[in-house]
Amino acid sequence: MKIPSSVLAALKKRVGVQNVLTDEVSLGLYAYDCSLSRTRPDAVINLKRPQDIPAVLRLLHRHRIPFVPRASATNHAGSCSALNGGVILNLAGLNRILQINTQEGWALAEPGVITGQLQERLAPLGFFYAPDPASERVCTLGGNLAQNASGARCMKYGGTIDHVLEADWVLPDGTEIHFSRQDGGPDFIGLLTGSEGTLGVLKQVKVKILPAAKHIKTFLVTFPSLAHSVQTVSDLAARGIIPRCVEAMDQMTTRAVEEFAHAGYPLDAQGLLILELDGSPAQIEADEKQLEEICIKNQALAFIPAKTEAERQKLWFGRRAAYAAMARLAPNVMVADGTVPRSELPRALEKVRQILDKHHIFASLLFHAGDGNFHPQIVFDERNKPETVQVARVVKEILQVCVDCGGTLSGEHGVGVEKRAVMAYQYDKPTLDLMARVKHAADPALLSNPLKLIPVHYAEQARPAAELSGPVQALAEEIKRRREIRVPCVPVGRNTRLQTTARNTLSTQSLDRILEIDKTNYTVTAETGVRLEELSRALTEAGVFCSLPPGKGSLGGAFASGCVPEFYAQVLGLHALLPDGSCVRYGGKLMKNAAGYPLTRLFAGSQGTLGLVTQLTFKIFASPVSVLAERPFRPAGVNPLWQALKKKLDPEDLFPAPEGVVYG
Amino acid sequence: MADFFVPEIDPKNPQRHLRVLQTEFGFRSVYDSVSFCNRCGSCQQVCPTYALTGEEPFSPRGRNQAVRLAAGGKLKIAANRARLEQVVNTCLLCGRCTQACAGKIPTAQHMLELRRALRNTVLPGLLQKLLGWRSRRPGLFRVVVRTGLCLRRMGLLRLLRGCGLTRLAALRWLEHADDILPRRINSSDKTFWRQALKESPKEPSLIYLPSLEAAFFMPSLAAGVLKKAQQKYQVQVWEQVSSGLFEYVYGDLRQSRRLVRRLIRRCARTGTGSLPLLTDSIDVYLFWRRAPQLFDRWPQLARQAQAWADRLVFVTELFPKTPPAATAVAAPVRLDPAALFEREGKPFDQARQILKTHFKKNFVECFYRDADTPAFGYAFVRGNLSEQIFLNTVRTVARTQTGTVFTLSGLSALELNEQLRRFYPQAQADHLACLDG
Repeated sequence: MKIPSSVLAALKKRVGVQNVLTDEVSLGLYAYDCSLSRTRPDAVINLKRPQDIPAVLRLLHRHRIPFVPRASATNHAGSCSALNGGVILNLAGLNRILQINTQEGWALAEPGVITGQLQERLAPLGFFYAPDPASERVCTLGGNLAQNASGARCMKYGGTIDHVLEADWVLPDGTEIHFSRQDGGPDFIGLLTGSEGTLGVLKQVKVKILPAAKHIKTFLVTFPSLAHSVQTVSDLAARGIIPRCVEAMDQMTTRAVEEFAHAGYPLDAQGLLILELDGSPAQIEADEKQLEEICIKNQALAFIPAKTEAERQKLWFGRRAAYAAMARLAPNVMVADGTVPRSELPRALEKVRQILDKHHIFASLLFHAGDGNFHPQIVFDERNKPETVQVARVVKEILQVCVDCGGTLSGEHGVGVEKRAVMAYQYDKPTLDLMARVKHAADPALLSNPLKLIPVHYAEQARPAAELSGPVQALAEEIKRRREIRVPCVPVGRNTRLQTTARNTLSTQSLDRILEIDKTNYTVTAETGVRLEELSRALTEAGVFCSLPPGKGSLGGAFASGCVPEFYAQVLGLHALLPDGSCVRYGGKLMKNAAGYPLTRLFAGSQGTLGLVTQLTFKIFASPVSVLAERPFRPAGVNPLWQALKKKLDPEDLFPAPEGVVYG
Repeated sequence: MADFFVPEIDPKNPQRHLRVLQTEFGFRSVYDSVSFCNRCGSCQQVCPTYALTGEEPFSPRGRNQAVRLAAGGKLKIAANRARLEQVVNTCLLCGRCTQACAGKIPTAQHMLELRRALRNTVLPGLLQKLLGWRSRRPGLFRVVVRTGLCLRRMGLLRLLRGCGLTRLAALRWLEHADDILPRRINSSDKTFWRQALKESPKEPSLIYLPSLEAAFFMPSLAAGVLKKAQQKYQVQVWEQVSSGLFEYVYGDLRQSRRLVRRLIRRCARTGTGSLPLLTDSIDVYLFWRRAPQLFDRWPQLARQAQAWADRLVFVTELFPKTPPAATAVAAPVRLDPAALFEREGKPFDQARQILKTHFKKNFVECFYRDADTPAFGYAFVRGNLSEQIFLNTVRTVARTQTGTVFTLSGLSALELNEQLRRFYPQAQADHLACLDG
């Protein structure tokens, strides 16, 4: 599309002539990111002042010009390319760390701040920012938030979504909203984390910072098979030992790395783990004993603790050099990304190796063993078109394997444009519909990073919807019936938190089954009408624990009321009935999921205003954990994004807000 | 690598370009080499110009893509000359990107290739002639340099630039001259050189090829190198040798080839064909190590160049392997590994080890993003960004409260000293060869 000269002139007036680029060279250089996707924008705007973001977006919205926010553009899935032309908003210039508060444990920064630079600033203060993507020396906080990035420390500390406290957000029409985790209502920060720039632009972010561990010990352990290495991680979790990092690689990768980096890795093993423990010296010592015991039980071939800092760095050097080891072999390295439940990891990796062998493709296999996230690094030459097409096809096959193993097509790299089509393989039509409606609600003109994340035509290719169980089917029918006769639904569990006196309640008491307690992946799947005390009892009987307060209320109430906000981070998957009676399914036993909008966060704290949550999958623990704090019921604050979402998802107000909340 | 048509940036003038580049993973065509960029962005944050601007055209990734687009015919050089010149000429050729890159992409070499394609590298005739006096008329060259420095100090160049006269074709060479001329030179000691040349042994065991700065601007550097070399070798000095590096970076590649070829032949002619060749400038050392890539079209010459390059020795090898007693210094010292094209390898490791051994805890390690002196040495870039880059350098020195910064090139030491004198006089810069000298 051609941008009118009057718009360019207005943009130049706003951000400065030198910051609006339309020359052929600049447009050519902003056409790519780290993926295969390549499309030239029509203009590039270098934003140097945060206050320019709303004004620029208003201007673009007025003229219906699409835009793509980006900073370092290190994305592997094509999230940063301007598919429809339009404008690239370069946020790399917004790179100031505004404030660090070690008393309260947060840092306030602009979106273009490099994650590694924040770590450098925090290190002398004795603090750190937990998400550690491998590209932290170049990727930005804004990019991390857009992709819900995480890294080796994810198993213990979680991903970006768990470390954002507040965000100043600008919707695609230029509306500014301040989101805070203290607000009532849906977890909007969670929803926006991982939205890949399709719901607006981040203006400023407040992230959680943590005191740095003073004592760290690293171990290299090798195993006769990948299954043994994964079993070791599961056994560790079963004993309540959560390592700071658990990185792994297969034999072919170990050989490639060793040949390049000479890190001293044994070459005879099929599976290799690098584990890191942190805590007090006494705790590390105790954990080390248990770790050694578990490793021996799982037939470890070598157990090598790093005795000095130099040895520790050497062990990590090998792991970090894995990408470099591949990069020297061919012009291009495609870093794929898939996640499966941890128990499925050996099976998924075996299948992936079979696919690679079948197509005669050389790739290394690295994985974050703690959370089932693996990264095949495929070497190829993108100038060779048939080879590139084949690699793209193989990556698609690998992602399908992930989905078939109960996993997801992205753990941390996002969907972008390259995995967009596979989304239909993972999700059914109602779920994709819901994601599309979320996009339309926040960005009705479809200007913000258009054509990303959601497949363009999915109606026929989408995964078939699974059959509903009897009680859920009955509830779905009831919702449809009420919709026809225009009678509202007020979802109620045990009515302990909302304490509504409304007559048109829709009770979840029929949904009272605990469906599965999985002691390999440490997850529990239960229907939302289950009483918390029953759940707690069942888990204790099974020898596992959850962090929910054992009150009288229901599981759904604890999740949707917004009274236990820290619980959101533990919820991995959900099923929910929408106002049209359709059922969405999102997530599962996955520790990471960066495929699509995080729908668990949309329903978390939504107070029954967007639909009825019927089933939840969440984390459990091997040893007793401290119970999460419960806060009193607080009606949600009103903001333009919720107004838009409510109008789009429930236009007939079938699921009305609790008293005192007006959507406008 | 690829078994398909390999495009060139400037196919009509192959003699002006390198056909292959000598990379860490073997010889590659320019297009192959640039195609190894996976666009991962690991190079972005270490690039001083990207760190200042945050703009893709000023990043190594952007620069490599510009070369690739130009070679692939997707970007017409003639139509985009002005912007491409901006992209290319802001590159400091410091090699920090290559160091950070997993595929070790030689971005600086790609930039020189694009500069050659843009034809903005040819040194004006007069300047070429002046540079030619280095070897033929060193006395006159010395006078011209001193006069130039004097005139610049008097503000003549600023005046001419202010009036726009330097844009005139006849005076454009002044800008190049300003780029190449160091800001300050140490006093020249003719008697030292006379003495050194007179004492030249009849049966040498090492040939010392002093760099331009050692020969003309920093006799203390030459003295330091000679003192160390004479402890181990019978040193013969070849005064006023033109390395060909200025021509390689700023001028015509053919001229650079000619100068290097002359040097190789001189070695063969004088019967010193097997002796080690010592240089004191890391820039020259790295350039000469890559001499074979200059002669790719002439296999015999390439073989000779390879044999010649294998004999090169850098000053770090003159230091004793057993550590001497620790030098008592109050302030910390650090190594500034600023060099052309690359910054890792044997000489850098040796230099680091030497300083660690000498200064023990007072040696400050460089952090990966520390601003050292990428704008000094043989590739001066004095664009709009240079002042800020200089200041970042001084800021890093001040932040670490460094007392002495050791460099591996005399020109770097001269330039850095000038900056430190202006902004942080508590510190000073010196060539590593002057350590304990």
